[in-house]
Amino acid sequence: MAVLGLLADGLVFSSIIVLGSIGLSLVYGIADFANFAHGDTMTVGAYAALVTFGGLSGVGGPSLLGLPAAFFLALAAGFVVAALVAVVTEKLVYEPLDIGAIGLLITSIGVAFIYRGLVRIVFTAESTRYDVQSIRPIEALVPYGVRVTYHDVAIVITSVVLVGSLHALLQYTDLGRKMRAMADNPELARISGIRTDRIRLVTWTVGGGLAGVGGTFLGLFNRLSPRMGFNLLLLVFAAVILGGIGSVYGAMLGGLLIGVVHESMPLLSGLGGLLPLVPDTLGIPVGIEYAEAVAFVIMVAVLLVRPTGIAGEGT
Amino acid sequence: MSDEPALELVDVDGGYGEVQVLEDLSLQLEAGEIVCLIGPNGAGKSTALKTAFGLLTPWTGSVRYHGEDISGTAPEEVVRKGIGYVPQTDNVFGSLSLDENLRMGGVAREDDRLETVVEELYDRFGILREKRGAKARELSGGQRQVLAFARALVTEPDVLLIDEPSAGLAPNTADEVFADVEAVNAMDTAILMVEQNATKGLEISDRGYVLDQGTVAYEGDADGLLDDPEVSELYLGG
Ligand SMILES: Nc1ncnc2c1ncn2[C@@H]1O[C@H](COP(=O)(O)OP(=O)(O)OP(=O)(O)O)[C@@H](O)[C@H]1O
Ligand SMILES: [Mg+2]
Repeated sequence: MAVLGLLADGLVFSSIIVLGSIGLSLVYGIADFANFAHGDTMTVGAYAALVTFGGLSGVGGPSLLGLPAAFFLALAAGFVVAALVAVVTEKLVYEPLDIGAIGLLITSIGVAFIYRGLVRIVFTAESTRYDVQSIRPIEALVPYGVRVTYHDVAIVITSVVLVGSLHALLQYTDLGRKMRAMADNPELARISGIRTDRIRLVTWTVGGGLAGVGGTFLGLFNRLSPRMGFNLLLLVFAAVILGGIGSVYGAMLGGLLIGVVHESMPLLSGLGGLLPLVPDTLGIPVGIEYAEAVAFVIMVAVLLVRPTGIAGEGT
Repeated sequence: MSDEPALELVDVDGGYGEVQVLEDLSLQLEAGEIVCLIGPNGAGKSTALKTAFGLLTPWTGSVRYHGEDISGTAPEEVVRKGIGYVPQTDNVFGSLSLDENLRMGGVAREDDRLETVVEELYDRFGILREKRGAKARELSGGQRQVLAFARALVTEPDVLLIDEPSAGLAPNTADEVFADVEAVNAMDTAILMVEQNATKGLEISDRGYVLDQGTVAYEGDADGLLDDPEVSELYLGG
């Protein structure tokens, strides 16, 4: 049952992509610009968590899902620092600039270099990892071909909780309604009396914070390196575009799909074994290194059928 | 209240970036009036409303609300003063439900009467109550115009700016919208309305202005404008 195992891996990786996609889409929704610094915001969150976790190494307390309590504090620090960095960048760089969407996009590439450079200066280009005990896959699931650890479970559960909270915020609170109103029609939002400057900052906070959490989980799932977030950015973009750019719910769906496709690559080479009536030796021998390319092929295929993305709304 | 006009544009020059649209434009709206702004495409009618509401800042001259100079005040603050605005296009939040649209219309309210006012609007515009859960983008053109209108009324403004309420509507639907405009005016809301159907617009108005190339070409009582052979010939389609 390799399929189950790959789906499980896909779900874990998807959670990370989803956390990244939401912020990218939120910011696109209100500011109409593709923020290329978003991946590096994830990196910033991951390293903020690293520092916090290091500083809290003496702190005891219960552990949950194989992770010490201090790790969850570090995760919160990843959220806060990434959110802060995003908000400060908006205030100091993007907001004062009056150069249109393309100008902002190019500026954000520069901002990405700055984040990455600073992370490199402080932490070197070497990769590193969180000082948590590696753990073995959950025994009970191994017979089903599912090799996930409690860390993976923690990633998925935390992401589901965060995404659920965001959903509640957007749908059932006044603030959330204002955020959606502003993404829908910024001018009418102001005409209605919404103080859009504040909503914009809230949006950057939420988007940056979730990216920070996603980055921290990416560091737990793989390792930390100054390029980690940037390397993920193209997949995050693919997820956002697939879902329908500007749509938060689309970003969630797109992230889920891209993550699963990315991790399911070995299925293609073993296709024959999976399908009845097809010789077991038959397969599409695509190496794991082409996972990103395949994710993009899927994205393009979906866009050919639905040019506005899965949850996009036409014009 | 003072005897100043409810809303006034005084010698306004303005436009977009470097492009000048309004030239020495002066208009008044007295409390309780309906005033209709007519004129050819591109005359600057929408630009005048945007400038009055703070979406554009006058280059020179001023916008006055009951005598207070509000030039350059941001729209989210202008609405708090008591002015409402229904834009010509994109005037509802398409991805929000009708109910949410109305709630957004009430963001500027600072008292706790939001629920009451929304209920009153549902009573007045039955179609909105019927569809309160639907997304605004699912509405027909006429229903959408009613929602746009209602959204601007949630703050109970004493001055309402409406840009082409009948655009794109079938004649009988347009008549209903005009009736709504009159009904709202009857509740003591002064209305400055841009209308491409100049004859219909003037018929429900007290006074009118003909705008041409960013400035007032004719002004007067609505009846007078309707009867004026020159206005009729040039702007009312003969
Ligand atoms: N956002 C903008 N940027 C630059 N120029 C604009 C903009 N909007 C309108 N204009 C120009 O300003 C002039 C006046 O436009 P405005 O929309 O005020 O006209 P209008 O009288 O409302 O016309 P219509 O009857 O077509 O609605 C036009 O020449 C138009 O091209
Ligand atoms: Mg116009």
